Amino acid sequence: MKRYPLLLISLVIATAFLSLAIVYDRAEADTRIPIKDLIENMKKYDGQTVTIGGEAIGDLMVRGTHTWFTVDDDPYSNKSIEAGGQLVGMSNMSMSVWAEKIDSEDIKILGGYKNKGDRVMVTGVFNRACHEHGGDTDIHAFSVEVIRPGYPFSHHFQYGKLLAVLILGALIIFLWDLRRSRIKKAIREG
Amino acid sequence: MILRPSSDDLKLIGWGIGRVILGIGLIMIVPLAVAIASTEWNTILDFLVGITACVTFWLIMENTCRVKKDLTWFHGMIVASAGWLIAMMFGAIPHFLSGHFKAYLDACFDLMSGYTTTGLIMLQDLDHVSHGLNMWRHLLTYAGGQGIIVIALTFLFAGTAGAFKIYVSEGKEEQLLPNVVRTARAIWMISLTYLVVGSLFLWVGMFIEGMPAGRGFLHSVWLFMGAWSTGGFAPQNLNLLYYHSLIIEIITLIIFVIGSFNFALHYSVWTGKRSEIWKNIEVRSFTITSLIATFMLAIGFSKMGLYTTLTEFFRKGYYNLISGHTTTGNSTVYATSFYKEFGFIAMWAITLAMWIGASACSTGGGFKGLRMGIVTKSLWGDIKGLVSPESAVIREKIHHVRDIWLDDALVKGTMLVIISYVAIYAVGGLLGTIYGYSPSVAFFDAASAGSNTGLSAGLATPLMPTLLKVYYIFEMWAGRLEFMSVFALFGLFIALVRGRGKGRKR
Repeated sequence: MKRYPLLLISLVIATAFLSLAIVYDRAEADTRIPIKDLIENMKKYDGQTVTIGGEAIGDLMVRGTHTWFTVDDDPYSNKSIEAGGQLVGMSNMSMSVWAEKIDSEDIKILGGYKNKGDRVMVTGVFNRACHEHGGDTDIHAFSVEVIRPGYPFSHHFQYGKLLAVLILGALIIFLWDLRRSRIKKAIREG
Repeated sequence: MILRPSSDDLKLIGWGIGRVILGIGLIMIVPLAVAIASTEWNTILDFLVGITACVTFWLIMENTCRVKKDLTWFHGMIVASAGWLIAMMFGAIPHFLSGHFKAYLDACFDLMSGYTTTGLIMLQDLDHVSHGLNMWRHLLTYAGGQGIIVIALTFLFAGTAGAFKIYVSEGKEEQLLPNVVRTARAIWMISLTYLVVGSLFLWVGMFIEGMPAGRGFLHSVWLFMGAWSTGGFAPQNLNLLYYHSLIIEIITLIIFVIGSFNFALHYSVWTGKRSEIWKNIEVRSFTITSLIATFMLAIGFSKMGLYTTLTEFFRKGYYNLISGHTTTGNSTVYATSFYKEFGFIAMWAITLAMWIGASACSTGGGFKGLRMGIVTKSLWGDIKGLVSPESAVIREKIHHVRDIWLDDALVKGTMLVIISYVAIYAVGGLLGTIYGYSPSVAFFDAASAGSNTGLSAGLATPLMPTLLKVYYIFEMWAGRLEFMSVFALFGLFIALVRGRGKGRKR
């Protein structure tokens, strides 16, 4: 009986945390603009302050006091194919971000084959054809926030493929032997 | 009377194709090594499956199709055309096993796109692809640019008298050296030398632009392979826009322009005949058509008013135009920008440049500068004939390594190939329009596939209709082989069904 109040308190705390997490995620979802929208409506958003959220991928390219990095916000940025994500019939939706070096220093893990990149929220000015960068489409960020750190993927070893290699390998040995016998026979027969 | 191919004919073709597939298996060793160095275990297995499948196929062909006869023109053409299709199926194995493709057809699409140096992709989630698979994507376009038959000739057909027939059937007519195997090796020597020099320049560029040294090295090799082969593949989804670098754009521009030149021209310059650069009909043709297209582009951009400085015109306009003209497909803008930001005139300037394409016997596609030169000169000759006395005999010549006099047979053959290109572009454009895409987008992407360019205005995605995917594969294949070998393959099927007699005479 004494256990019930403790359980109740735990449940209340857990529910509070869950609600906070949902509210936080919804807040993120409400304010950010999907990159697909930016790409398809460049004219509309040109020169506007926008917020995007997604996975930092590829490389950090430091240029003096600033850094270029790329953000993906497609379904693969939530769950990559390498992490068992579903194929949704599209390639990546990416946007380049030009940020002060100091702002991008919090980004530690970049997405790729082995890693799920840090999840970032970027707020800045969207440029359909940035005059500072030779007409590139980009976002000049004034705020970069890492909202969830990245992590390495665990690729499960695929034994089915190993079996296929072994079967084909055995077949090659058999066929090679057959070929050698045929060549020897042909030499014998002149 | 159509003769039915004998079983010996079919065996000879099977034997030749087996060797081509062995070549594909051997090339897979390179991405396998990269996957091992990067400790990508599942990718290692993907390539081991691919390699063992290729070797198994080759051994089956060796054991069942060996005949003591040499290849004729007919066999050579079938080995080239069918060899490309079967090479696509085997090369697609590591792609499909990677899990990044919705269907095996999509993997085959990317393979044909790579071999033919087109550059359109169906691959999904490119930004999370392994180093091994990225190496394979770029290597196959690099190898395809030289010609997969050239690869097979270099290593696997030595001593075969019929080698010249399959070499020519791959859309290459130039013989740089008396022996075709030595010609194939010369093509490889030229390409490998440029690979080392070009990658080094790109690596330095990457380093200056803040890329880490290790990944910068891989990116520079991959970008070189994509640009030199005029394939236009890049390791990241944003293609050249990923780097935001004028230096890298200039270096890749130089690489794909050089890569789009005829191997015979390269060889002439290498052997000291530098004046060939200024005299060659293809260089002249490329200069004139690119100037006209640049003029059109400038008019288009001035009407749109988005890209206003010279730097912007160069990086967003000229770069993409020349990328299209050389049938490369490297891009510094989003696919949607072509029809939303460039406007009608600029978009059609690039479409027409893609139609014309690069040089014959190069890594590029399209009508080719040589054919444009022949048709223009022939037309000029006709005009001169009209204003000359009736008794006057007008003959025109072009300079391509040597002086070539134009005759009716040459002009007729050239026109047939150009009409075939226009036909595949038109059918692709109409098909896309029927499926509900905007005509500008449909014709842009159809021209891009048929000319082996790879720029896309957004139609060529994994969600495009299956029939269009199959048609685009056909376009890329037929455009790369310049039709004759494809006609020969259709001829084989007709002969198998309707032919008479026991076999073809040699």
